[in-house]
Amino acid sequence: MSEQKHVLEIRDVAVHFGGNGGLFGKTGAVVKAVNGVTLDIVRGETVALVGESGCGKSTLSNTIVGLQQPVAGSVKIGGEEVVGADRKKLNDIRRKVQMIFQDPALSLDPRSTIGATIGEPLIVRGVAKGKALKERVGALLQQVGLRPEHADRYPHQFSGGQRQRVVIARALALEPDLVICDEPVSALDVSVRAQILNLLVALQKRTGVSYLFVSHDLGVVRHICDRVVVMYLGRFVEIADRDTFFANPKHPYTKALMSAVPEADPEVQRSKERLILGGELPSPAMIPSGCAFHTRCPLATEICGRERPELTVRDDGARVACHHA
Amino acid sequence: MEVSPSPLLTVDSLTIDIAGAHVVDDVSFTVAPGRVMALVGESGCGKSLTSYAMLGLLPPAAKRTVGRIMLENTDLARLTERQFRKARGKDISIIFQEPSASLDPLSTVGTQIAEAFRAHHGASKAEAFEKARQMLVDVGIPDPDRRLHQYPFELSGGMCQRIMISIALICGPRVLVADEPTTALDVTIQAQILDLMKKLVAERGTAIVLITHDMGVVADIADDVAVMYAGRMAEIAPVHTLFREPKHPYTALLLASVPKLDHAPKADLATIEGMVPTPSEFGVGCRFHDRCPLSTDKCRSQAPPLFDCGDGHRSACWHIDRMAEIREVGA
Repeated sequence: MSEQKHVLEIRDVAVHFGGNGGLFGKTGAVVKAVNGVTLDIVRGETVALVGESGCGKSTLSNTIVGLQQPVAGSVKIGGEEVVGADRKKLNDIRRKVQMIFQDPALSLDPRSTIGATIGEPLIVRGVAKGKALKERVGALLQQVGLRPEHADRYPHQFSGGQRQRVVIARALALEPDLVICDEPVSALDVSVRAQILNLLVALQKRTGVSYLFVSHDLGVVRHICDRVVVMYLGRFVEIADRDTFFANPKHPYTKALMSAVPEADPEVQRSKERLILGGELPSPAMIPSGCAFHTRCPLATEICGRERPELTVRDDGARVACHHA
Repeated sequence: MEVSPSPLLTVDSLTIDIAGAHVVDDVSFTVAPGRVMALVGESGCGKSLTSYAMLGLLPPAAKRTVGRIMLENTDLARLTERQFRKARGKDISIIFQEPSASLDPLSTVGTQIAEAFRAHHGASKAEAFEKARQMLVDVGIPDPDRRLHQYPFELSGGMCQRIMISIALICGPRVLVADEPTTALDVTIQAQILDLMKKLVAERGTAIVLITHDMGVVADIADDVAVMYAGRMAEIAPVHTLFREPKHPYTALLLASVPKLDHAPKADLATIEGMVPTPSEFGVGCRFHDRCPLSTDKCRSQAPPLFDCGDGHRSACWHIDRMAEIREVGA
């Protein structure tokens, strides 16, 4: 069954905040953080979600794990609907999806040994206890390149990279189908980043886990991802396979992002075509009419302020939402 | 080779101790007017302490024990706090990573910029405000008259960093220390700020000491690069030379660990095994020796000096002649 291969199916998801009441009873503006997005992820696939602060990528991540309720749309994990699921159902679904955050120091309890931290999901789910639990934790530590005897140590006894390994071990404890990695290497030193990226790739090869990889670092994205999704003010503006995406970016925002990310090579960096966007990211509470990007877009014409472009399929399979690209 | 103008800032044998360990150990470099010197390294390498020493902002536990920081003929390392207060802002300024944390949330940005000007010049408030307005124009803030009267919370992160740059530059300092100035910003905004810094360097001839860990930022804006490791200078070179032909194993591995355009997707990236030593673990030899693929007994027992490789390129490694072995590892 082809349906089964999808570990994640998102359909027309919208997440809005505020609008009714507000803290002091006044009616605030509706923040349309996510505004109708559709995405599938298949088993063993890594999809990058690229965008700047306020584009809605974290809200979307939170919605996928059921921490945030959408106002519309459907989110299915392994074929099971997350939206509107009751607590028990949600608990069952959640073991299939885990998250890794940017700063490992903030995602670990400083007062628990890392053995207790990694073992906790196993205890909660009744997967293992006693000696079996200890063995399972030891095996997980080894999988992420740490040693079983590290289980008795506390987070402060580890470096940033090692802590991120602990976080990854905890995320993998329940053998999830999908791991959402929210900027997993941004807070790490450069030499350690490579270690963690290699680890994520190796774990995927071994377990077939899928990743939704939220990042702004296009070098890392190009290295680790199979498909790239670019998000701007709550909507997807471009979706393409990695090779197509990097060989032939189409949306002007994608091009601007690529131009803005500095390449770690002075010759390439100083000779590349520059497309520096003017202005700031508009507030998601006041999304421009038509194409949300038209206020900063070098290609914008009159139609862009009036009509919102839908994602359309191009010759090479890329899907792009732009009147002019 | 272009001839570098004579240096404006000379850091000479700077050594800083914390609890008896040399956390910055014999660091020397120079910066010429209108040039950008990038200090690169991972957390704990001493790059921030080095820059704080230039502004007399070392934390109380850190003591400079040896070395000079010459800004033309003044040794900044010998200034009293009182003298430093006169120099900071006027001769040398700093901008930090998180602009919103560096601004006073309770006063308007115009007041904060004008205040920086009045601290060093006997100008009236109106004159200082006019100066501030001009400064906002120079850093590319649209609608400056309105912005002057706004508070930091009303501005975006990129806008706040432009305000910080305005405050840092309003008295026309000759040296600007930029400590990870774009790390907290989005990439499209980072590109704007880097371009602004390039423009200011070109127009005003300000020398910039840029502290960063981002090799992309270095490739974009730096003229010269100093790579620090565990408190020592590992390598120093003009930017193109450093990227094309690194002569220290640490630099070479660092560059190889960044995914490149021609790198096969999901293929293993070069890594540096192990971790940066903590100050209590610093031995007598090269501080990189236990992670270095070229390491020999000599590296363990003797710290390498900075060897001169010509054309402004220096490297602290006993095995510069064996660098080809590293390039094979990295490729």
